[in-house]
Amino acid sequence: MKYWEKMRGKGQSPPGVSLSEVFWSWLGAFSGIALVALLHYKLLDQLGMQLLMASLGASAVLLYGAIRSPLAQPRNVLGGHVLSAIVGVSAYQLLGAYPWLAAAMAVSLAIALMHLTRTLHPPGGATALIAVIGGESVHNLGYWFVLMPVGLGALVMVIVAVLVNNLAENRKYPEFWL
Amino acid sequence: MDISDADVISAMKEIQGYIDITPSDFREIFHIAYTHAMRRIMQSRTARDIMTSPVASVQAGMNMADAVHFLADKHYSGVPVVDEAGKIVGVLSEKDFLRRMGLSRPTSFMEIVSYCLNNKGCLVSELHNHTVAEIMSSPPITGGPEMTMDLISSLFLEVQINRLPIVDDEGKPIGIVTRTNLVQSYCALPGGKS
Repeated sequence: MKYWEKMRGKGQSPPGVSLSEVFWSWLGAFSGIALVALLHYKLLDQLGMQLLMASLGASAVLLYGAIRSPLAQPRNVLGGHVLSAIVGVSAYQLLGAYPWLAAAMAVSLAIALMHLTRTLHPPGGATALIAVIGGESVHNLGYWFVLMPVGLGALVMVIVAVLVNNLAENRKYPEFWL
Repeated sequence: MDISDADVISAMKEIQGYIDITPSDFREIFHIAYTHAMRRIMQSRTARDIMTSPVASVQAGMNMADAVHFLADKHYSGVPVVDEAGKIVGVLSEKDFLRRMGLSRPTSFMEIVSYCLNNKGCLVSELHNHTVAEIMSSPPITGGPEMTMDLISSLFLEVQINRLPIVDDEGKPIGIVTRTNLVQSYCALPGGKS
């Protein structure tokens, strides 16, 4: 296919989902984010720790809205976030003096690493970026950032996905664990 | 006949939940998977599965006229030829008669009529005093019962034959794979006509 020809995008968009699918997606996302946010505000925040972070919002889209997707499976969610966090923290610590470079390296290497480990999870890119641009509170955590909020936050979200997604008669989660 | 984007979209609608693949990606995967499935089946189905068995054969020493009557009676277009021990020594088919009549390439009935109008000697009446061994194709091309459909199909194309006698370890015919057998097996494949 010619270079310009490829840009025409002549394929078709997949069909929309039923209202029940919309409802279950909403319920899962509400439960998952509510639990993480409650733990964050009612418990950890008071101890000077954090659990809620923006990239979990992105994970919620996949975990509760596209549950069949390979990108939404536990291996991808947990692996993608944790590996990306490691890459992000490392990028900040090694290249923090050049924020633009640290940011670009964090996201691009996180994607490469997720591909290589078959853990591609788009919100991982956000996690890697947060490690660089998240400000003092994130930078001070050092590699603890990998465990909390990232690791624990992702784990809570996956547990809620397993519990809520399977309540629906015609939903099944996960497709695979590892 | 091909799977269309509309087919894929209907299928996706029937399956609950959001499937993050575009219809054209799905079709691409489907086609490749289908090719793999066909190859796997062609490599796993063998002569034993598709051959006509048992198979009739004629003796090498049989009078050619008798052989012709035999083939005509049974509506066979070709048979394995065996020696006295029952071991295959050749194949006798319409092609061999055509060659005997001076027509060597694949020929239609009208071409035979046209040829005979110009060549009195083409009439086959003088076949009476000859044996099958004189005109059969020999040595025969044969296959074993474990030969795959895949290999048989390519052999048919390569050496331009229409039937392949299947023989046991001793060279005795146990069946025959004809073009019809192959076509029937193709039709029985997933997506086939029957």
